[in-house]
Amino acid sequence: MIWIKLAWRNIFRNKRRTYIAGTAIGLGLASLIFTDALVIGMEKNMIHSATLSYMGEGQIHRQDYRQTQDPELTIHNLPVIIENLRQEKIVKAYSVRAMSMGMISSPADVQAVNIVGIDPQLEKDVSQLDEAIQRGSFFADENPRNLLLGSKLAEILAVDIGDRVVITVARIQSGELAQEMFRVSGIYHFNIPEMDQGMVFIQLKHAQEMLGLGEQAHEIAIQFTETRFGIDKNLQFWKQYSENGNVAESWTVIMPQMEAVLELTQFSTLMIGLILFGVVALGIINTLFMSIHERMFEFGVLRAVGTRPWSVARLLLLEAASLALISIVLGNILGLASTYLVGQIGLDYTGIEFSGITFRELIYPELQLIQFIKYPLWVFLCTIISGFYPAIYAARMSPANSLRKSM
Amino acid sequence: MSETRQIIVTRGLKKTYSDGTIPVQAVRGVDLIIEKGEFSTIVGPSGSGKTTLLNLISGLDRPTEGEVYLNGRLLSNLTGKELSDFRRDHIGFIFQAYNLIPVLTVEENIEYIMLLQGISREERHRRVLDILQKVGLSGLENRKPPQLSGGQQQRVAIARAMVSQPSLILADEPTANLDSETGEELLDLMIHLNKITGMTFLFSTHDKMVMEKARRIIILKDGKIAADERK
Repeated sequence: MIWIKLAWRNIFRNKRRTYIAGTAIGLGLASLIFTDALVIGMEKNMIHSATLSYMGEGQIHRQDYRQTQDPELTIHNLPVIIENLRQEKIVKAYSVRAMSMGMISSPADVQAVNIVGIDPQLEKDVSQLDEAIQRGSFFADENPRNLLLGSKLAEILAVDIGDRVVITVARIQSGELAQEMFRVSGIYHFNIPEMDQGMVFIQLKHAQEMLGLGEQAHEIAIQFTETRFGIDKNLQFWKQYSENGNVAESWTVIMPQMEAVLELTQFSTLMIGLILFGVVALGIINTLFMSIHERMFEFGVLRAVGTRPWSVARLLLLEAASLALISIVLGNILGLASTYLVGQIGLDYTGIEFSGITFRELIYPELQLIQFIKYPLWVFLCTIISGFYPAIYAARMSPANSLRKSM
Repeated sequence: MSETRQIIVTRGLKKTYSDGTIPVQAVRGVDLIIEKGEFSTIVGPSGSGKTTLLNLISGLDRPTEGEVYLNGRLLSNLTGKELSDFRRDHIGFIFQAYNLIPVLTVEENIEYIMLLQGISREERHRRVLDILQKVGLSGLENRKPPQLSGGQQQRVAIARAMVSQPSLILADEPTANLDSETGEELLDLMIHLNKITGMTFLFSTHDKMVMEKARRIIILKDGKIAADERK
């Protein structure tokens, strides 16, 4: 008890130094908490941007469809799968899509595009296509000749709402060309070049007719009730729907670069953490050494009256621990306040592309309880480990040398 | 004088410091015997080796050559931890600059050594009150050192040195920082405590008053005993 009392009181002998050191370490801890919260917010934002904009958190295709884009590879047992998906508790929404490469032509130009047939009602719940409409509307009426195209493509084709365009596709079995005229009913803008320039959307039934698919489709995009299901590679769902030649895959499999980006951000957090802990360690060592040199005689007296070397080291370690506790309190308060404040306002990076993913929403740092347990614990351990060097130095000091000026 | 009466025995004690380029011989072969209950003082000019000799006797420093026996124990045979425990149980220190721990109260400063010895709380408190009465500081146990005068702080230092009932009190210039009146008062107090407790006191000093009151004066010159006078 005397050691704790002595350490705690010693820490406050030089209040200014303790507060400066504590604030410095606390700021490091607050930065870590904030960085972690920001990374979590950014990851969620990126996942949202990537999965909510169009892709979905999971997709079902016929085996090899994704690799070959062969329009003949349609999903097996589509009605059964759709019925099953309706029953799934973890599935929030799904969208059935029929797709094929084709050509779109206007009086001004011709472009090769990916023609996607969608059910507007289903698609609205899976993607943000309806929200991305810049001009016109998202299949506001039942007109089968309505067509949506991206802002960049509209620019290239020099078309606007109400203009006519011609779509040319090859029917899947015969290979015959099918050509039909559509009217531009909506122009969307995702700020994703591949989508804004390379895709057009028509109604599912019309696409099926043009392609000669009957009731078949190529893709089912899925949104889950919780984000974690889409990340869980061991989810039973993937196995269950990867049967009869079909394959169900998470967005992490479909978009491996996204996972790599997330790993990179986690690595960045780790590096920031290591740098901050390096600074914390040097701060602790410096503070304790200053304290040792100020109290050199006192350590000599403590040793002279019978304090064992290890007890002197323990005193220094307890002082380091006391400093860590002060820093942790300060750091947690600062971390909570800064993250909460920024979390209320949000960081606006909308429209900015990062590793192929465009932020479509404000980034909100996300506070989690674990941040206020894990990082303070790291700071505490780092402080104790850093304290060993000055503690061992103090324990090894010759009492006679320490007292030389006094005795 | 029988062997058991000897508390300090040094034989051929030498200490050479070689921190710089030129080795400095601080103690050059000291043979000294101090008997139990003595009230002795080591005197000599600055640099004569007084502090080094006290450090060697207390085990705070290790000799380059020679031996130190304290209460019959050869100090060079003890490990660092054993030396710490030995000092804790056998030696009380009084320093020139009081050197109390400023963040601890008078009571906490005095009981510190007893805490190291594992003495119970009740016993510690009893002894603290008793020694404070003896050194004339009753009622000040909750004050911190900066709230005391120099003389009061040195009384606390004396109390701390004596409370664990060591057999030897080593004091380095204990009156140097005090005015002559307070110094004499404290010296009389230590003579009184020496008489009633039988503890051995060994001083290093420049103070003529201490020399006058000491019963034995060991004069040190250039690291050697130049004279050893008993009154």
